Amino acid sequence: MDDDLTPTEVRDALAAELALGLLEGQTRADALRLSLSDPAFAAQVAAWEAKLTPLHAEWADAQPGAAVWSRIERQLADAPADTVAAIETRLRRWRAGALLSGAVAAALAFVLITQPVPTPTPAAPQLAVARIESDAAGPLVLARYNQSNGLMQLRIHGFEPGALAPELWVIPEGGTPVSLGQIGHAGDAEMTMPPPHRLLMTEGATLAITMEPVSKTPHPAPSSVAVASGKIITI
Amino acid sequence: MGHDATGRRLKIPVTSLRLDAVDGTQWSSGADEARAQLTAALTAVGRGDRAALRQVYDMTAAKLFGICLRICGERASAEDVLQTVYIKVWERAGQFDAARASPITWLATIARNAAIDWRRSVAGRTVRDTLPEQAAFAVADDSPLADQSLVAAEEGEQLHRCLGELEDRTRLCIRAAFFDGSTYAELATRENVPLGTMKSWIRRGLLRLKDCLGDG
Repeated sequence: MDDDLTPTEVRDALAAELALGLLEGQTRADALRLSLSDPAFAAQVAAWEAKLTPLHAEWADAQPGAAVWSRIERQLADAPADTVAAIETRLRRWRAGALLSGAVAAALAFVLITQPVPTPTPAAPQLAVARIESDAAGPLVLARYNQSNGLMQLRIHGFEPGALAPELWVIPEGGTPVSLGQIGHAGDAEMTMPPPHRLLMTEGATLAITMEPVSKTPHPAPSSVAVASGKIITI
Repeated sequence: MGHDATGRRLKIPVTSLRLDAVDGTQWSSGADEARAQLTAALTAVGRGDRAALRQVYDMTAAKLFGICLRICGERASAEDVLQTVYIKVWERAGQFDAARASPITWLATIARNAAIDWRRSVAGRTVRDTLPEQAAFAVADDSPLADQSLVAAEEGEQLHRCLGELEDRTRLCIRAAFFDGSTYAELATRENVPLGTMKSWIRRGLLRLKDCLGDG
């Protein structure tokens, strides 16, 4: 770019661009990851969202079809005990309790970037992101998933070493959690997804982490609430 | 908040959301109560109250669907996105902090981000490609419209004054990004300028906007 902007201005402009939604592809994925890993940048994005809020007064109302509420109700009612809403609801209560007790800085963010199989058509890079925003600082997992070879790469921050290990789960929309095995407390990790599990890595599925007793083999089901989760979204 | 002296929950008709729609520079009591009621309902959703989610839906679905429809461009996709918006609201309401954000802007931000996520997705790009070309900036004009009641009017005046100080083309592009979810590439195509030029216009415009708005 030919802009003679200072690095500070460039960073602030990036926050504004993300808040405004101008970015796409890799640039957007990178900015989203930055907003998860850098609280100062995340605060800049939030500040820009706040500056623009008066514009929200201008949207024209429109009536959605009556079926939408039924679909929302069904999605909430159909969610079996251990899927998304239930995990996240319990997570919220757990987090509230943990914050009250002062015992744990319970904070959760999870991001997934996926790269699909390259297509012959000349298109922009196709990526997917899943994220859960949180106001607090704490455990954070960044993940990149390459659909062409099934390689999942993780960057793990902020889990306390202890008797329990973080275990990664994929939860298909409306389905039950499937373990992808245990990950480290911090640092980088990668694994090649077994082919049956690759089918689960679709838009709308949830990735979640629970703290489980150390085990070489994946557990059949989580024994505790999720400490981090996020949905897979193609961007 | 949201309760009368006897402790019963106040029933505020949804229509009270739109009192003082055009030029209210102060909160009307109807808007105050509507905002308090929405805050109370959202807080209850944060505690896992599904009936409260219905209340939030009834009070805000038209507004949030307006956002989804404008950015998605067609009803079926907009309704899919609206569904995910209220699921997100259900999941995230525990994070809502009434001291930091008004309930409607918190909800509107979730809706707008969800609609933009959809537009940037493969599905969104595919659907958008099949839609007839919209007249450039046809609806991205400069007139603030109705429904001020849930959004603080005085902040709006300052933002509009500062937007008004920008060059017309820059202001229109910033508004198109906000209301249509346009990317740099789309704006450059519409305005028939190189991508780098568009980025330069908008970045400089945004930084000027920040200066004009002052602190932070």
